[in-house]
Amino acid sequence: MIRPRPYADPYWCGVALGLVLLGAYTLAGRGLGASGAFASGASALVASVDPGRAGASPYFGAYLAGGGPAGDWLVFELLGVVIGGIASAAWSGRLRVGIDGGPSASPRVRLAAAAGGGAIMGIGAMLARGCTSGQALTGGALLSVGSWLFMAALFVAGFGAARMLRRLWQ
Amino acid sequence: MSGSLLLALLIGIAFGVALEQAGLGNARKLAGQFYLTDFTVVRVMLSAIVTAMLGLFWLGRLGLIDPARIFVPETFLWPQLVGGLIFGLGFALAGLCPGTACVSAGSGRLDGLAAVGGIFAGVLGAGLAFPLLEAFYRSGARGILTLPAATGLPEGVVVLLVVLMAIGAFRLAAGWEKREKSG
Amino acid sequence: MSGARIMGAAALALGVAAPFAGAVPERAGASGRIDAAALARMVAAQQDHVSALELARWLRDGRPGLRVIDVRAPAAFARFSIPTAENVPIERIPALRVRDDETVVLYSEGGAHAAQAWVFLKAAGTRNAFFIAGGLGDWFDEVVSPAIPADPPPAEAARFAETAALSAYFGGSPRAVSGSGAASAAAGGDDREALIANARRRGC
Repeated sequence: MIRPRPYADPYWCGVALGLVLLGAYTLAGRGLGASGAFASGASALVASVDPGRAGASPYFGAYLAGGGPAGDWLVFELLGVVIGGIASAAWSGRLRVGIDGGPSASPRVRLAAAAGGGAIMGIGAMLARGCTSGQALTGGALLSVGSWLFMAALFVAGFGAARMLRRLWQ
Repeated sequence: MSGSLLLALLIGIAFGVALEQAGLGNARKLAGQFYLTDFTVVRVMLSAIVTAMLGLFWLGRLGLIDPARIFVPETFLWPQLVGGLIFGLGFALAGLCPGTACVSAGSGRLDGLAAVGGIFAGVLGAGLAFPLLEAFYRSGARGILTLPAATGLPEGVVVLLVVLMAIGAFRLAAGWEKREKSG
Repeated sequence: MSGARIMGAAALALGVAAPFAGAVPERAGASGRIDAAALARMVAAQQDHVSALELARWLRDGRPGLRVIDVRAPAAFARFSIPTAENVPIERIPALRVRDDETVVLYSEGGAHAAQAWVFLKAAGTRNAFFIAGGLGDWFDEVVSPAIPADPPPAEAARFAETAALSAYFGGSPRAVSGSGAASAAAGGDDREALIANARRRGC
């Protein structure tokens, strides 16, 4: 049984993340993102079922115009995130099939909460044009008002909702 | 694979490594932020924002990058406010965001996988419902609006204020943590 | 942890110095400054616009980084728009940010506003920007309802076949014309309404 390495210092990880974001801007001319890759995938799915509707939709159409997921910068970036996650977890001895959750939450409840929470986040990310990566991190570093607004609202709602979800996590 | 997509992949890998090393691929650790038992989320986020912000500011002032070429996301007041509230609710439920869900799934966590599926479904549903949401989606449009422009403060002053705010938040977090540990 | 303290001190130092850093250095081609000579050269060389047919080709072939931008008012945009178009009314064009790897194609009702928007975007340093000279009128004349002669000369047959295929791709309906395919009268106002109604039904 591999003993997992301890987590790295969060401040250093944050600085590294900030440098990655900086690198993205200087080398690729753009910032990071995550939810956009999901939108690109969703657009491709809709296009495969109903191309006319997908192309006509101002939302999906915009993602398709760039050539779909195959040519989408964000999709490749998110693919990289998965690979990086696997590699880092493997190196640190944290690669393990399992479920991270509160001590009193059953796996079924945890998985349902993850899926449901994910769906809710998807809606929020669609409205806000991004998520913690694209808006809070990238937009935040660029001092965009909308991004800071998103970040503040996110934390307010998160703290508020957590108070009612203690059974899930504690 | 084109050069730009390869670069995207490499940037993503670095992104994923940084997140996983900090432990943000673990939903329970992430959720701890909302219970003030684990401050990794704000430490990573604010450090990243301050680093990138200072980097962009100073590289711009030194003439090494052209600030006008940097793509600043547009501000849409109402959908970003409401979207943020909705996102926060989902975040507390799932314990993961889109990026960290991918890291969690990559690490083998089934809840990460479930979150990824959920996010996809949510984005798909919201996109399909776009005609209903469109008016709200486009409301509060302010174009590119930065804090300096909105407050009238010079950019350098805003940068300083953000740094001070982050340091203040770190101090608060450390204080809270000490109190939690001592019971 | 002391490493983090060093980082924190560095951040504080950079932050304190920030208000004293002065303004952003002026660069050639900075936002809003129009280099008339350069732009006039592009116009004369026909590098400022593309035909509606060319845009149709780009859309069908999924040209990477393509952004079609409709500079009309939202009400007009809601009634009909070229597939995948984004609505950026002309007054918001100066705030539009375009990446170097994106290609913008602007259009308006008749083309005038789109041409003006082109100047604004070029002045802001946009690398790849074009407009459709005849606006939506061209889109209807060349793509939605192109004039296809019933009996084209062999040399032209391939070109007309491609046009017809492109039109079909966008749910259009070519107009059969007699003779060698000389340009006939453009789709009139009533025809345009019918075409719009038809296009919407097909989800074009």
